[in-house]
Amino acid sequence: MSADEAEGAPEPLVLDYRLDAPPEKVWRAISMPGLREAWLPGADLADPEPIVLAPGEALRYRMREDEPPFRKSAVTFRISADEAGGTRLNVIHERARPGGRTIMAANSNAPPLLRAA
Amino acid sequence: MVENDIFKALADPTRRAIFEKLAAGGMNASALREGLAISQPAMSQHLSVLRGAGLVREERQGRFVRYEVDPQGLTAIAQWLAKYRAYWPRRIEALRGLLKEMDQ
Repeated sequence: MSADEAEGAPEPLVLDYRLDAPPEKVWRAISMPGLREAWLPGADLADPEPIVLAPGEALRYRMREDEPPFRKSAVTFRISADEAGGTRLNVIHERARPGGRTIMAANSNAPPLLRAA
Repeated sequence: MVENDIFKALADPTRRAIFEKLAAGGMNASALREGLAISQPAMSQHLSVLRGAGLVREERQGRFVRYEVDPQGLTAIAQWLAKYRAYWPRRIEALRGLLKEMDQ
């Protein structure tokens, strides 16, 4: 698993799940708009079309809140087969960089923000 | 407070180091510079950006100014994280439901 794209953002939310379905099936559920809508509503997305980073393995959605303050973010889903024939799903959710540009290349090795207070 | 200012302020590694140091406890600018290779004007500049973003506040104590983390500034970050920490488990539960219904 890699969280390369997360570097430089203040503090991405990183979550891991195990799903009881093969990766091919999970890929369809996360990539096809008709299926995606059943669990990740388009109202939460800035663009209903995913950005495919690696077919069958990783894709990203740009998100935008549907109420003030309309914060923008991007979520990356990475999937891989697990030993039991299921799927490991890695969710990396990052806020948009200032200026509205979402995370592309990482150019910083800065440590993650300390959880203060 | 503009949330983008917070992220911009913390995108800089030096400012993040300053902020993390202050998170451990308030101190004045010269104490803050100890251990950080940074000039006094640069420190003032960084503190000014952090203050502008609402992350740090200052308190005058005689001849010195004491800087400390402003808890209010952290609220926006905490709110974002809290919202989506609750959001994703619900979405993933819905995904599990969908996967059960889907044909192979």
